[in-house]
Amino acid sequence: MSSGTSDLTGVDVDAASTPAVELRGITKRFGAVSACDGVDLVLRRGQIHGILGENGAGKSTLMKVLIGLVLPDEGSIQIDGRPQQIRDPLTAAKLGIGMVHQHFSLVDPLTVWENVALGEGGRLDPEAVRLRIDEIGEHYGLAIDPYARVGDLTAGMRQRVEIIKCLRRDPSIVIFDEPTSVLTPEESTSLFKSFRDVVAAEGRAVVLVSHKLDEVLAATDDVTIMRQGKVVEKIVTSEADAPTLARAMVGRSVSLRNERAALGLLGAAAGPTAAADTTGVADASGVDPDSMVSPVERPVVLSLRQASARSSKGVVLLDDLSLDVHAGEILGIAGVEGNGQRPLGDVLSSLVTLSSGDIHVNGVAISSKVPGAMAAAGVGVIPEDRHDSGVVLDMTVAENLVLMDPNLAARRGVMDPASLLAIAEQLITEFDIQCAGPDAPLWSLSGGNQQRVVLARELWQQPKVLIAAQPTRGLDVGAIEYMTERLRQAAADGVAVLLISSELEEILDLADRIAVMYRGRVVGEMARDDADLERLSLLMGGAAA
Amino acid sequence: MDLLIGLFEAFSNSSTYVNAALFAGLLIFAASGEWIAERSGTINISVEGMLLAGAFTSAAGYTVTGSFVIGMICGVLGGMCVAGVQAEMSHRLTADQFVVGLTLNILILGLAGFLAREFDLDTKTASRLEVPLLNRIPLVGEAVFDQPWPFYLLFLIVPLSWWLMFRTRWGLEVRASGEDPQAADVSGIDVNRRRRQAIYYAGFTAGLGGAFLLFVQVGRFDEGVVSGRGFIAIAAVIFGGWTLRGTVGGCLVFAIALALRLQLPNYYEGIPTELLQAFPFLVTIFGMAIFAHRVSAPASLARPFVRGLK
Amino acid sequence: MNDQTRRAEWIGLYTASIALALGGSAVLIQVTGGGSWAVFQALIEGSLTGNGRWGLTLGAAAPMLLVALGTIISARAGLVNIGQEGQLLIGAAFAVYFGFLIRGPGPFNLVVLMVFGAIGGAVWAGVAGLLRFRRGVPEVLSTLLLVTVASQLVAYALGREWLLLAADSAGARNNVSEQLPPDNRLPNLDLFGNQIPFAAFLAVAFALFVSFALARTVWGFRLRMLGRNPNAAQRAGVSQTSFGLRAMLISGAFAGLAGALMFAGGGFQFSNFKFVPGFSGNIGWTGLLVALVAREKAIPAILVAFVFAGLRTGSSFVGSTGVEARVTDVVEGLLVLALLIPPAIMFIRDRRRARLATTART
Repeated sequence: MSSGTSDLTGVDVDAASTPAVELRGITKRFGAVSACDGVDLVLRRGQIHGILGENGAGKSTLMKVLIGLVLPDEGSIQIDGRPQQIRDPLTAAKLGIGMVHQHFSLVDPLTVWENVALGEGGRLDPEAVRLRIDEIGEHYGLAIDPYARVGDLTAGMRQRVEIIKCLRRDPSIVIFDEPTSVLTPEESTSLFKSFRDVVAAEGRAVVLVSHKLDEVLAATDDVTIMRQGKVVEKIVTSEADAPTLARAMVGRSVSLRNERAALGLLGAAAGPTAAADTTGVADASGVDPDSMVSPVERPVVLSLRQASARSSKGVVLLDDLSLDVHAGEILGIAGVEGNGQRPLGDVLSSLVTLSSGDIHVNGVAISSKVPGAMAAAGVGVIPEDRHDSGVVLDMTVAENLVLMDPNLAARRGVMDPASLLAIAEQLITEFDIQCAGPDAPLWSLSGGNQQRVVLARELWQQPKVLIAAQPTRGLDVGAIEYMTERLRQAAADGVAVLLISSELEEILDLADRIAVMYRGRVVGEMARDDADLERLSLLMGGAAA
Repeated sequence: MDLLIGLFEAFSNSSTYVNAALFAGLLIFAASGEWIAERSGTINISVEGMLLAGAFTSAAGYTVTGSFVIGMICGVLGGMCVAGVQAEMSHRLTADQFVVGLTLNILILGLAGFLAREFDLDTKTASRLEVPLLNRIPLVGEAVFDQPWPFYLLFLIVPLSWWLMFRTRWGLEVRASGEDPQAADVSGIDVNRRRRQAIYYAGFTAGLGGAFLLFVQVGRFDEGVVSGRGFIAIAAVIFGGWTLRGTVGGCLVFAIALALRLQLPNYYEGIPTELLQAFPFLVTIFGMAIFAHRVSAPASLARPFVRGLK
Repeated sequence: MNDQTRRAEWIGLYTASIALALGGSAVLIQVTGGGSWAVFQALIEGSLTGNGRWGLTLGAAAPMLLVALGTIISARAGLVNIGQEGQLLIGAAFAVYFGFLIRGPGPFNLVVLMVFGAIGGAVWAGVAGLLRFRRGVPEVLSTLLLVTVASQLVAYALGREWLLLAADSAGARNNVSEQLPPDNRLPNLDLFGNQIPFAAFLAVAFALFVSFALARTVWGFRLRMLGRNPNAAQRAGVSQTSFGLRAMLISGAFAGLAGALMFAGGGFQFSNFKFVPGFSGNIGWTGLLVALVAREKAIPAILVAFVFAGLRTGSSFVGSTGVEARVTDVVEGLLVLALLIPPAIMFIRDRRRARLATTART
């Protein structure tokens, strides 16, 4: 398969028609890192174009340039053949570019119609807005109550509001940014169908930004593949298959992990037979993956029994959840995001209190109410959102490395700069943390290095249990590999690892056992070998397996 | 009990209501603007300064021209100048809003006191406007319908504030800026601009309030003419749970407390006046404590917004 | 842009701002018929150069500094405490009440005054703290409201003999407390021809101590963590409730201590060892301002407090120049606003430079 840039001559489109959007040489740097590096992109009307790439490949930044949230350092933009400068979201909107955001665009206390009306100009006419919402809802199968309070809606419904908000402006170019991360499989399928409706009848250009192969295969006409800020391939979807895409995305010969990635949830090739075909295939390093499996029966280190928790508003977070993690094993928690994975991590970080049920570490009951009790009991956490609870950005690298227990670098209550420095230097070397020095503020580190700081700190405390929540999210490929290796190493050293991830590939790659979460409880458990994608996806979607 | 009798007698006296109406007027002017400012996400602690500036400039305006209308316009300008400093420094230059607000209060107090002693301000209250029939309603009638004419502007300002907030796009964007500035920003709203505008509106109403103070209630300028009522306006907004109805209600409650402080000792000696004065504040505090889970403060209240920072 | 040019920028901005503030004040004075140079001279003389004046200024600065230190501590914990005025009043009231109740010998009573002053302030801040950590009431609102409640409470107490009112006050125009007997008062140290109140040494010592504690102790580390990232702090065992509450209590204690020292030290315009209406003289608000202007750092707060205090002591000399003493409030206000401008401008310039630098590479 060619890895050069092929253009879209195979596409059945009037070659003389001007592309809706043409981006040339878009470059954006954040400090030393190039988020986008000379990216070219062509979007045509009547086409669904996919932008595929791993997390950190630059897709989001590219879209932010198009929508006016980020100004490119270099490059040009042409809309319908005319050069344009997109300085802010308002300009983008005037040019007919609309984006369905993943987060951060809806105001909770306001109603659906107020949110949809937000950001436009002109007089406020509630009736007109409501009418339009009903219209759009009917046309695209996205019915919703205009007077509902957005804060009360489910994730799927909120996304509907986002879509309606976008479509209301009648954009000629519609961008969907990672739309299925909070949707169940059925909701995803119906979403892709609405793509077709949005595009087909009305000559719009639709962009689907995603890191999921199966989605792109199922829903797009052509694909631009990005890796590390650059465009590596442009393919017509009908001429591509999963392994091709996977290889282009990752840029190495396909390992077992990516074979599994190619199968995914919705792809036609999914199924137990397909999985069986790939067992025994050696990956690039020559090791038979099968020999890495089969966990030994070891003592249970972490045990949750009938754990239940509610949010302050009464929303159920965890519902009678029970699971055990053994020493030396990696238990993978699979599931669509929003089914309790985050609360699970939060409970084990002493951030959420259980309303009932209990937690035991090595047989000793640990209270979820007492701050710091989990950490003191030997539960290390790599949190899902390190900025939220993992690091303090304004503190130095050294200070972050002793965050959980500053007494380690202190004598009788007074911090000892010498020992702090020693600890920091040791960990920086051991974990290869790229930074200006132990006194560098943490915000000056890249995402991957910040994650290394978290990893270093947690592992250094020699935890009995390690919770890794979405540990490789937002990292580049190199950092992902490093993290993965470290997690394997931790398990090999006897740590009980709980891996929470919405990336099924990651779980299939690392876990010895897999448990599926749905609506706050574990709905199915199996050894990795017994894991077949059909069963997993059924469980993840809430059906009994 | 004697207390109840005392209260009953105080409330049977129409001058209680007149006093309450006068106190309430000032508070409602200030609070209807402060309400919008707080809904946009800022605590406008310079209301005190705005009121005083409004009072001073309206007195100056009247002294120079002899016209109440011009005096009131000057009052508005005075309030909006203070608003200008507060708005531009905290929401364009990113200075801390509390420092700016508190400093403005000190500055205006000093400036007004200084200038008042240098210049002789000659003012009086405006002419009364009687609403026939209605002003004969026992007790309340005189208080509400027989006041100097600027008083009646209240009946315009409150609906205006409501209309701005709930019937215009501007109001929608202001509310969004106060609840979730990140989402508002991503939706294309200039959050800090809306906050600045909200503060300017607060300056507008507070300026009117200052003029009200001069031309309706007091008649003479004195640097102590506001003495803390700006803070009461802020308290009223909190008391009212950041709704307009609640805010106006809060102003009435505080105003009645102030009026009772004057009247009640004539009938009943048992309640210390300090308790009366503190009472609305205590109610506000306890109200917040009891209705903790329903405190509907704008989520982003008093938190500055800078794009790119959480 | 290198450090040299950057420092030059800062100095330039500050000089320009201060000049603007002073210039503006000068214009105001001239326009109203006074002599601005005379006024500034009077200010300098009244606060510094006059006989025994800088000692007086130090004495006035002491409570401001203490209030500022308390504010810095609660700010580090991520709390917005704007009720220092009230905490100071309650602290002073406690000190007066228990001081006269216990009536011990000289030095002992001083300790009593200070301890109860701190307790009073802590209690008052603690109310807001409890409201915040048990009921979720934003402390910015509760501390503000409690200021009025405090002043009413204190006014009430001053009207009652069984509380604070001096015995045999019948017929007196104002309600005041008993006067503190001479041997119970805070001593002054006679240095360089100035009477320097003991409170000033205490305040500076506290400033050094707080600065050290915040930067170098585990407690300070945890406090900073709590302020910057409460979730991470919670994971690490720093309970928002207990740690944050403690920070509030300490913050109030400093304000209360300031009030007690004002009473026992009887310095510049501090009501002559009596507790009177209007006792606090806005020292609470000024102390809060000092903390904010000093950008919440303890050592700079010493200097800032001195400047603010200087404006107060200096203003008493201004009257003799024929200009209204009130003008010093104007100078103070303009000065603070002016001092806010350089950091703001630098912040905006930095952002603009960062943006331009990236787009310049086209």
